[in-house]
Order: sequence, then structure tokens, then C-alpha cells
Amino acid sequence: MRRAVLRRADLFFRLQLLVLLLLAGCGASPPKPPPEPRLRLQAQEVEASAARRYVQGDYSAAARHFAAAVRLHLSLDDVSAAARNRLQLAQAQLALGQAKKALEQTDLVREENLQVPTLLLQVQALLALNEVDAAQALLLRLDGLCGASCAERGRVRLLQARAAWSGGDAALTLTQADAALPLLRAQQEDHEVANAWRLIAAARLKLADASAAMQAAQSALDIDRQLALPEKITRDWLLIGDILRRAANPDAGAAYRRAQSVAQAAGLEALSQLAAEALKETP
Amino acid sequence: MSILIEQDSDVALLHRGTRRFLLIGLLATVLIVAAIFLRQGLFRQTAALGFVTDSAQDISKGQSVKIAGFRVGSVETVTLRADGKVEVQLEIDANYMRFVTRDAVVELHKEGLVGSAVLEIMPGPDKTRLAANEAKLAFTRADGLTAMANSLRDKILPILGDIKLITGTLADSRQGLPATLGQVREATGSLNTLLKTGNQQIGDVGQAAKHAVGHVEERLLQLDKTLTTVNSRLPALLDKAQGIVEHVEKITADAETSVPPLLHDGKAVAADVREIVTGAKTAWPIRNLIETPAPQKLRADSDPHAEGSLAPR
Repeated sequence: MRRAVLRRADLFFRLQLLVLLLLAGCGASPPKPPPEPRLRLQAQEVEASAARRYVQGDYSAAARHFAAAVRLHLSLDDVSAAARNRLQLAQAQLALGQAKKALEQTDLVREENLQVPTLLLQVQALLALNEVDAAQALLLRLDGLCGASCAERGRVRLLQARAAWSGGDAALTLTQADAALPLLRAQQEDHEVANAWRLIAAARLKLADASAAMQAAQSALDIDRQLALPEKITRDWLLIGDILRRAANPDAGAAYRRAQSVAQAAGLEALSQLAAEALKETP
Repeated sequence: MSILIEQDSDVALLHRGTRRFLLIGLLATVLIVAAIFLRQGLFRQTAALGFVTDSAQDISKGQSVKIAGFRVGSVETVTLRADGKVEVQLEIDANYMRFVTRDAVVELHKEGLVGSAVLEIMPGPDKTRLAANEAKLAFTRADGLTAMANSLRDKILPILGDIKLITGTLADSRQGLPATLGQVREATGSLNTLLKTGNQQIGDVGQAAKHAVGHVEERLLQLDKTLTTVNSRLPALLDKAQGIVEHVEKITADAETSVPPLLHDGKAVAADVREIVTGAKTAWPIRNLIETPAPQKLRADSDPHAEGSLAPR
């Protein structure tokens, strides 16, 4: 009798366990959110691929991919993503020296939340096209839009410095670039910090402060070396050569030769030619 | 005595087994209830949405609410307001609120032609502004079978009237088909007369044509002489031209066999690779391992060629 009772209890126990497992299996799968549609995923992939190419310095391929990403996002009626990619396309075009095309792209961006980056790129393009007055007008707008707490404040000040330099005002250039430096450092914008140092060096040279100019140029060179940017390193050495030549320092020739060797190794024909001419003019 | 002791121990054993059985049963019931609650989404976060309509026809409590064909919730309540309008409350999974825009419209339509009625939330064009919890959405009804049948009837009725009119006109003995056939018979008689006259005139034209052919024969003799001269000079020119054409043909044939396949293959391979990679990334379990690429901010460089510090132009 005892065995029969035990057997019956064991059978019930097993049956209940089975039912429990079956019900748990039915109840344990909550509905999953729908996956990202294939075309949107493709658009995001193209955008990411373009960004990768930009980081690698292949601006031409980056521009092609960003243009494709703009088309894909537009085909999905995602205006905001298309505008974002348009700005990135403009940035790649600026890196390729196609300022006019970049300006055309930025003119098509109407998103309010992208107003500041759009204006920054437009100013950059206008300065590259030597349209200083138009750039100054946009910088005034930017000044109003991008206040003290704005993350892009450093870049605005730097572009103001560049506009002042293009207008031939060395003192204002120095003031603006000096103001931009701490803001850019705080944002860890190394490229822009080097650009600011280079501007400061050029402005100080014009204001006949050779030693301060040399310090600034050296700071720019240090950063550009760290970032491994041959074109900028060459420009830095050319600037150092100019400063030394102004100070009648015999090392000016060595600086120009350094610029020439970097330019030749990097295949920068125009800069190599510039260094050769500077060498000829150096006593 | 020993029999009684044995019976007592059996009863105790039975009590213990029963207690264990009841305890396990209770535990299993609690687990089953918990599993059912979990499955029914009782612990899931939900959001409420609503809309107001003139009639509750085809809307009922518990009815499915879908987004892009996915069931995301159900109708929570359907109430008749004091002003005679019907207020409907929807309960949808909070996860799906990211698809519901402020300008979204709730559309009532049938699944298939005669299927059950479902409410579908159609997101509006402004994807940037999402609807808040307990938001009121617009409501619309898709055309049902009755509306479609009425529309079809409205279109067919005028066509039937036209057909009736045409058949009536055709049957008319004065203006319809019989009168037309009589006119055709008359026209055929006139045509026979015309053909006879035409035959006579063609005979006259034949005489004139004979004279003209004589003149043409003389001109052809002169042309024959000119062609003989051309024929003697042309072969050399043709040989040279042939040589050039052969060279061009050879180059074109080479290019034709090598260039297009390369171009096509490259394009096709690139498309295939993209398709495979995208497909693989969206397939389980790879899609769980790969994150969707987020938009990246490019590093800023306002002076990529370091030309900003050059002397002002």
C-alpha cells in the first residue's frame, strides 16, 4: 500500500512538472520590437562607411558615400538624417578644396537644430572663396546664435580670427585666436588648436613679435606632428622659416629645407615648390 | 498489534505524500498564473491613447490595435459620452510609443475584404514630434464593402443607361442599322461605276508612261558609263577602308569581351556583397551581436589645408 501511494504521488508530481514546463514555454516569449527596416539599415551603413573613410583621410570616397547616404535618407523621407549627411558631405568637399560645392550643399540645409554647424561650414567655405564680407555677416549671426555656453563657441572665435586675418587685421586676429584657444582645448579639438596656434604665429609675426611667433608656430608643429598631418607640418615649417628669416636667423634655410623634404616625401608638389622658392630667396 | 502499527505508518506516509502533492500543486498553480500574467503583458509597461468618434460600429473592447501590421495593443474601453459621441481608450505597449507621432491617425479597417475589423495607428509625416501618454489621436474609417459596392453602383448605372440608348438607336428603322445598310448598298453601286471610269483613264496613262520609259533608258546608259569609271578606282579605296575597319573591329571586339563583363561583374559583386552583408547583419543571431551604426560626428577642422594663416590675399 505504501509503495502504491508513493508511486501515485510521484506520477502526479511528474505530470504537474510537465504541465508547468509547457505553460512556462508559452508564457516566456514577450513580443519583440520590429527590427530596423533593411533600407534604413543600409542608409546607416553607408553613412558609417563614409565617416570611416573621412577619418582615414580618403575625402573623395567619403564625399561619394555621404552623397549616397543623402539620397538614401531622402528616399526614406528622413529629412533630418539627409540634412545631417549633407553637412558631412560639405565638410568632405571642403577638405577636397571644393568650397563652392560645399556652399551649395549647406544652402540646401534648412533644419533649425543644425543651424550652427551649417553656418560654421558656410563661413569656412566663404573664407576659402575669399568672400570675407559675406563670411563676416554670417559670423555676426553665429555670434548671436552660439552664446557663451555653446559647444562650438571656440570654433566661432577661431573663424572670427581667420576672417580678421583675411581682412588684414593682425591685432584683432590675435585677440580672437587667443580667446579661441582655451575654448578649443576644453573641447579637445586638437586640429583646431593647432590651427589657432598657426594663426597666432602668423599674426605675431606681422606684429613684429618674432619670439612669441616662434613659440606659437612650434606649438602648432608639435600638435600637427602628433596628428600626423604632412600638409600642415610643411606649412608649420614654412612659417618657422619665415619667422627665422624675418629675425635674420641663419637657420631659416634649414627650416625651409625641412619643409621641402616633408612636402616631397608626402608628394605635395605645390608646397615643395613653395619651399624651393623660399630657399632661393633666403640669403 | 504489529498490523495496527503497520497501518499507522502507512497512513502517516499517505498524509505526508498528500501534503507534498498539495504543496507542489499550489506552487505549480502560482507559477502557471505568473506565467500567464507575464504572457498577457501584465508586468509590461503600457501607454494609453484615445480618440473620439461618432459611432462605435465595428469597435469593441479587446479589439487589436496594430502599427505597420504588428499587434501593439488593444482597445481598453469604449464609452458613450454625454454629448452622444463615443470615446475609445487604447492601451498599447510603451515600447511602441516611439512609432506614434502627434499627428498619427487611428484608422479602422477590415483585415482583407471580409476579415475582422482592426484599428491601425498610421504615423503622420512629422516623425520628430512623438505623441505623449494619454494623447488624443484623430480617427478615420477605411471604406468597407458597402461603400465600395455603392461606389461601383454609382459608376455602373450611367454606363448601363448609355448602352440602352445605343441599342435603341441601332434598332431604329429610319436612323439605325437598317437605314445604314441601305446607304451602303447604294454606295457600292456608285463605286462600281467609278471603277469602270478609272480603268479607262489608266489605259491612257499607260501610253504616256511608255514614252517616259524610253527617255529613262537613255539616261541609264549614261549612268552605266559613269559607274564603270568609279568601279575601276573604288577597289583600292575600299581595301584601305576595310583594313581600318578591321583594326577598329578588333579593338572593339577585345574591349567588348573584356570591359563590360568587368564592369558588370564588379557592380554585381559589390551589390551582392552589400546584400549579403546587410542580410547577415539583419539575421538572427548576428543582429544581436552587431549594433546598428549610430550617426557619427566628424572631427572638426576649419582649415584642412592650413591656408588660413597665409598672408591675406
